[in-house]
Amino acid sequence: MTSETLPPAFILLLGAFVLLGVPARVRSAVFVLFAALGFGHVMRLPLGTTAVGNFAEFQLILLSVDSVNRVFGMIFSLIVLIGGIYAWHVKNRGEPVAAMLYAAGALGVTFAGDFITLLIWWEVMAIASTALIYARGTAESRGAAMRYLLVHLLGGSVLLGGVAWHYAAYGHMLIGALDPSFGGAWLILFGVALNAAIPPLHPWLPDAYPSATVTGTIFMGALTTKSAVYVLMRLFPGWEVLVWAGVIMAIYGLIYAVLANDIRRILAYSIISQVGYMVTGIGLGTALSLNGTAAHAYSHILYKALLLMGAGVVLHTTGKSKLSELGGLGKYLPLTLWLFMIGALSISGVPLFNGFISKSMIVSSAGEAHREGMMLVLFVASVGSFLHTGLRIPVFTFWGPDVGLRPSKPPVNMIIAMVVAAALCVFYGCYPSALYRFLPFEAEYHPYTIPHLVESVQLLTFTFIGFWVFRRKLQGEPLIVLETDWIYRRGLHRPAKLLLNVVNGTFGAAARGRDHVIARLVDMAQHPLRPFRPADAPRYDENEDRLPLGTGLAITVLFLVLLAVWAAQ
Amino acid sequence: MKTWHWIILAVITIASIVLQLWGPQSAHPHAWDRIPGFYALFGFGACVVIIFVSKTLGKVWLEKREDYYDE
Repeated sequence: MTSETLPPAFILLLGAFVLLGVPARVRSAVFVLFAALGFGHVMRLPLGTTAVGNFAEFQLILLSVDSVNRVFGMIFSLIVLIGGIYAWHVKNRGEPVAAMLYAAGALGVTFAGDFITLLIWWEVMAIASTALIYARGTAESRGAAMRYLLVHLLGGSVLLGGVAWHYAAYGHMLIGALDPSFGGAWLILFGVALNAAIPPLHPWLPDAYPSATVTGTIFMGALTTKSAVYVLMRLFPGWEVLVWAGVIMAIYGLIYAVLANDIRRILAYSIISQVGYMVTGIGLGTALSLNGTAAHAYSHILYKALLLMGAGVVLHTTGKSKLSELGGLGKYLPLTLWLFMIGALSISGVPLFNGFISKSMIVSSAGEAHREGMMLVLFVASVGSFLHTGLRIPVFTFWGPDVGLRPSKPPVNMIIAMVVAAALCVFYGCYPSALYRFLPFEAEYHPYTIPHLVESVQLLTFTFIGFWVFRRKLQGEPLIVLETDWIYRRGLHRPAKLLLNVVNGTFGAAARGRDHVIARLVDMAQHPLRPFRPADAPRYDENEDRLPLGTGLAITVLFLVLLAVWAAQ
Repeated sequence: MKTWHWIILAVITIASIVLQLWGPQSAHPHAWDRIPGFYALFGFGACVVIIFVSKTLGKVWLEKREDYYDE
């Protein structure tokens, strides 16, 4: 394996080991250095590069670069670099090591050519990202981390089952498009859909992301769902079920984003809504829709990182992240406000920002495929994005009445990272060809046409008016919103208790019966006469139970007399 | 929102409707494209529906006290 064919994941893996050893004062610089090396390496990997290794009797394809995974690898490694800058002030050792390992996992999955390589990196991602939740150190985050890990281990196991079935059916482990008639494909779909947060397999996401560390969430928001989107795109292009799953996701995420109170949870639900577009694009399976999915993943990672970084600054400087406890921060965090607004305008699909140039590809591809109903549902999701992320969060966080919070000064590295992400959002919005030239398929698309601008301007203007009229309804309320994880967080408690009571009751009764029988046997061995006494008789009566001394002497004398008689004969 | 903010929004809306009716047409037209201000109506309607449907779902079913899972 030469430097030309070195899998980028190995660079970050090495980075994670180096980070374990270096002293605290250079740790952030080392993180950024390895992230930059990884990014540079991905950028110069030629299409068609492969690298193989051996594992047991399998040949592993550790690296397989093509036009589909290159664009995903580019944005993953870029966001790790930006996240590294954002986390420059973090002093502990665990977080950067976990983040680096997690990023290695994401790049490993992205460039894997076979299922075994994919599975190994898949599990690395699950474990390393759990550490980023756990590192927050609160009771809430420990609970969320444990639920996150268990759910992802379940997903990984089902995926492994599907892969084993694949090997049994086809005799190879190569990653390629699967057919719905193959049963194992559905197991693989379950595992990947869980990571892509397709409802009802999604509740780990809004549970974990608001519970993770301020800097850890940036990596999580970018890597897990979008690497799963990449794998869906590889394995399930054109699967009709994904068209439906995607539009359901887009609407599901939006309803919860309107209800949620924690700003990072609103952003988590908005990830689900946005990934819905990508999943729909995969389901449509046309060149334009698949390009749209790749482009939207790229744009989404940038603006969502920017939004999460803005929410992170609010949490870092005030200790608060619930809308019901925030308000009037704009005059204390002006730069954060405007950088956040760039992310907000991007996700809302405002022209000149990068959401506009990618989301519209998927919506247009639905139109071109004559799926008008789907197209209208995606318009609703678009309206929702502007409503909950573009308006609801900033209006109730940065504007509105001053609730008396006095944020500390945010670390300068946080602001620098946000500036970089914001600049890229505007850059790609203004020069879409800079992104389009990396898209995998041949499909012509021009975002800046008059009909498309008319459509966006009308939708956005009147969403704003609707928001303004009913804005009081959207204030944060100190409530939580039930999710499908209710089943294992609460719903199963009663049946589980019932089951446990039956099992415990049976074993308890058996144990008590056993103890009783043994006690009786012991008692009888010690005390053979006891069964013949009245039940209320004392256990030991000196006068009855102790044989008088004379008895022994009488027996001895009797024995001697009998002996003497026998001897005399 | 000051008066001139509303005036800007009105100007933008009128300009977009003019362009919608007399500007260049989409290469992939849809049935609704020729309805003047269709996307404006759709945007406002969708916004209202989202707010009321979500809030109703929240009130009657989904929203619980913050210590719901601690009991």
